[in-house]
Amino acid sequence: MESLVSIGIALLSAPLFPGIILKVKALFAGKKGPPLLIKYYTLLKLLRKGSVYSSTTTFVFKLGPLVSCAGGIMILLFFPLAAVVPVLSFHGDVLVLFYIMATGRFFTIAAALDTGSPFQGMGAAREAFFGTLAEASIFAILILFYRMTGALSFGEYFTGATPISLTGPSGALLLLVIVALFMVLLTENSRVPVDDPATHLELTMIHEVMILDHSGPDLALIELGSFYKLYFYAAFLTLIVCPLNPAGGLLNLPIFYGVLVLIYVTIGLVESTMARFQMSLVPKFVLASSILVVFAAILTMGFI
Amino acid sequence: MFWGIAPSVKARLNTAIVLEIGLPVLADNKKNDNQEPMNIFLLALAMILVGGALPLLTYRWFMLTKCLSVGVTTIGCITGFYSIFSANADPASLAWSWPWLHVFTLAFTFDSLSFFFLLPIFLICPLAAIYSCFYFERAENSLRTAISYFFTNILIVSMALVTAAANMPTFALVWEIMSISSYFLVMYDYEKTTTRAAGYLYFLFAQAGALLIFASFGVIFSHSGSFDFAQAATIPESVKLMVFLLAFLGFGSKAGIFPLHIWLPHAHPAAPSHISAIMSGVMIKMGIYGILRFYFVLGATDIRLGQTVLVFGIISGLLGVLYALGKHNIKRLLAYHSVENIGIILMGAGLGMIGVAQGDAVMAGFGFAGCLLHVLNHSIFKSLLFLGAGAVIRRTGTSHVDQLGGLMKRMPVTGKTFLVGSVSISGLPPFNGFVSEFLVYFAAFQGLQYSQSTLLLTMIAIISLAVIGGLASFCFTKVVGIVFLGEPRTENARRATEGGWAMTVPMVLLAGACLVIGIFPASFIKLAFAGLADITLLGQVNTVLVATIGAHLALGSRLFLAIIFFVVLCRKLLYRGKEITEGPTWGCGFTRPTARIQYTGTSYARSVVDFFRPFVLIRETEVRLQKIFPKRTAYTSRVDDIAEAAMIYGVAFPLLAVLRKLRWIQHGNVQLYIGYIIVAILVLLLVLFI
Repeated sequence: MESLVSIGIALLSAPLFPGIILKVKALFAGKKGPPLLIKYYTLLKLLRKGSVYSSTTTFVFKLGPLVSCAGGIMILLFFPLAAVVPVLSFHGDVLVLFYIMATGRFFTIAAALDTGSPFQGMGAAREAFFGTLAEASIFAILILFYRMTGALSFGEYFTGATPISLTGPSGALLLLVIVALFMVLLTENSRVPVDDPATHLELTMIHEVMILDHSGPDLALIELGSFYKLYFYAAFLTLIVCPLNPAGGLLNLPIFYGVLVLIYVTIGLVESTMARFQMSLVPKFVLASSILVVFAAILTMGFI
Repeated sequence: MFWGIAPSVKARLNTAIVLEIGLPVLADNKKNDNQEPMNIFLLALAMILVGGALPLLTYRWFMLTKCLSVGVTTIGCITGFYSIFSANADPASLAWSWPWLHVFTLAFTFDSLSFFFLLPIFLICPLAAIYSCFYFERAENSLRTAISYFFTNILIVSMALVTAAANMPTFALVWEIMSISSYFLVMYDYEKTTTRAAGYLYFLFAQAGALLIFASFGVIFSHSGSFDFAQAATIPESVKLMVFLLAFLGFGSKAGIFPLHIWLPHAHPAAPSHISAIMSGVMIKMGIYGILRFYFVLGATDIRLGQTVLVFGIISGLLGVLYALGKHNIKRLLAYHSVENIGIILMGAGLGMIGVAQGDAVMAGFGFAGCLLHVLNHSIFKSLLFLGAGAVIRRTGTSHVDQLGGLMKRMPVTGKTFLVGSVSISGLPPFNGFVSEFLVYFAAFQGLQYSQSTLLLTMIAIISLAVIGGLASFCFTKVVGIVFLGEPRTENARRATEGGWAMTVPMVLLAGACLVIGIFPASFIKLAFAGLADITLLGQVNTVLVATIGAHLALGSRLFLAIIFFVVLCRKLLYRGKEITEGPTWGCGFTRPTARIQYTGTSYARSVVDFFRPFVLIRETEVRLQKIFPKRTAYTSRVDDIAEAAMIYGVAFPLLAVLRKLRWIQHGNVQLYIGYIIVAILVLLLVLFI
């Protein structure tokens, strides 16, 4: 029951948090900024509309939003939000889930290429490239966590017998993971300094340019899928930064959401203070994150 | 660990398994009360042979030839399937032997491993044969088509016998028949220079590989004094490493491990597409079979074997997919993906061998099971992709990715099945590629609990597998996106149409198989473990663990499909009564778009290929704008294989330079040649007697 409540809250509240990023950026720039619920308004607006489809496109174009949104929902079902035991969990689920996210990316890219637009092709190439590199970091994190807990599922990581904890015996290694995971979060969710969601020139976009031709409820599904994905990464980071006791049940929720908001605020701060990288620097940025984690994993070998 | 190894597990595993696969029994027909399965199996092989020989007689009637051959071959393969299933109940029945040349015995025995490798043979070959009805459409090539059918069926029979050969002469015989028949199949379009060059290269690698394999046979024989594989385990431990490495390189040149793969990207574009499907889907797996069989008969538990195989697997996997990204000929690209998948298969095998060396039954079991299941999966989706690529090439007349486009609308069945194959080969759920990659991952994570070299290697293996998966989906979004989606880039692509049922039915069946294995993984994981049932080297893996993994993977893929279905329903509801309009693609302010401004496969892959530059050779020629009256600008780029370049400049050219200096020996004077012989005999005698 608790699990269902926590996933329900997550599915409903995910669009709230990107609004926080926008607010932080606006305040930093000395502006008032949009209302916090801006993303809900956008979704409602999109859901009310019809769609325009390019005459070039096929069914693959419509599959893109469907698969990516489904992937976003699926991963939240397996995640112990607020350290409440997840709805579903099994040994090895992390592998399945990250591959399902990759399936979502496959279809998003295919949908972009379906329009035949050169700009969308360019965005697709970048998304595929950076996504592949980010996958290396993610699997390095899985290796490290397996070394630390012997577990291969989100449930076991945070609610299992030996949960991952900053205060644990090898908690110091998690500092490296936190930095790396934050870099992966920025990459996978197309945030500054990898991608700029607010840019106006198609040539410089990555994710935004891929969804240029989607409209109406299709676009709403894409947006929703990306909110869930960002929410998942932020929640993952939250549980590493602030380990919660699974026995706390729903009482963990306020602490969890407090830290979660802090992470979104951090994303906002990074976006306000940094410029987007030159495209050629992005691979180095992503590789840096995987090197950090691989280094941490090597430290678990214990040379003494 | 929470999974113990119960002694009665093997019995339970056998009863739980869909295919009950028997123990090998040395050929001794007198002891067999029931020869029926053997007879059925031989009948199946005989039917396939007849199906191949008939076209030689009837080639003047083109349609009749095709129908007869394909019909008899298909029935033969179905009979073969039946004999495997019926032999499971009575394992002793499927073995036979003949004396040959008074010296050797041709002996054939079966065990679970050979049964597993028979599955792709009898599954893929008939589908490829049906497809060939569509592919061979020109009646004026009737005789050539008949010959191609003849060699195809010889290839099928020889592959089936390779899995059963029980001693060295038998193995050498059927292995050579397999290599040579496939060489003739590659040479179908022998008028083309490129085909002849590709065929020659293939022949060279096949025979060099065979030489290495025979060398390893020789070493075994010199120590054990027996041609029987069963005696190979008795040779000293110190020799086993060398024997295995020789055989590994020999079989590797057939399987296409890096850097012995360079015949693959030449032979596949040259061969007819259904032949590529058989060769890439089934024949190169015989190399994997050889590696596994050798490992098991040698019974060597040295960890260095596993480490070697794993490292070669990682290198083949990474570089295979990287070169695939750089290639624009659709069949060459698929050939490099075979290198990649052979890499994944070898990674599974290598992890399994390391598991054996560490005495870890779970790691060994899952590694080998992942290896076997990936063999089956790869044979399904790779042949699907080759058949799809063949349809595209036949219908558009071009195999260059950047000259196609928009085929999803023009060839919907090919497009959809190709999409299924692409998602499967990228290892993405809910399709079959993911199931076997998951098993390999599982074995690798199991290896993380050890220390030092095992830990480091498994860490590298996991990260490489992740990167390979990412790059493979990169490459297949390129193929699907550039070839099937968007606008057609040339007039040929615009005019393409779907082929007949003979072409689409095999592809639909194969695509269905990809989805079925993805949604019902449990029984196929059991099948892969059943393939290892007779391997005494491996400890038994807890069946409960195997069943749980299967159930969980099934849960994952079904849940994902259910959520997609749910989102589809929501989408349907949201679009009810909404206005849906069509318009051109948003050109970002560009008002006169043409199909030519679309992103090409070359530019799509360029950033990644550039990133890995030390491992790939990129050659560019460019004519820039110069002076006041500039010439026409031009730009070309090509990606070269370092293994190929190294082999040309490092091996072939120096060898030629040396041999050129020795050319004076060959002068054409017969009397002097006889003189050479006399001198050689004298020298030999001197060496012998002094």
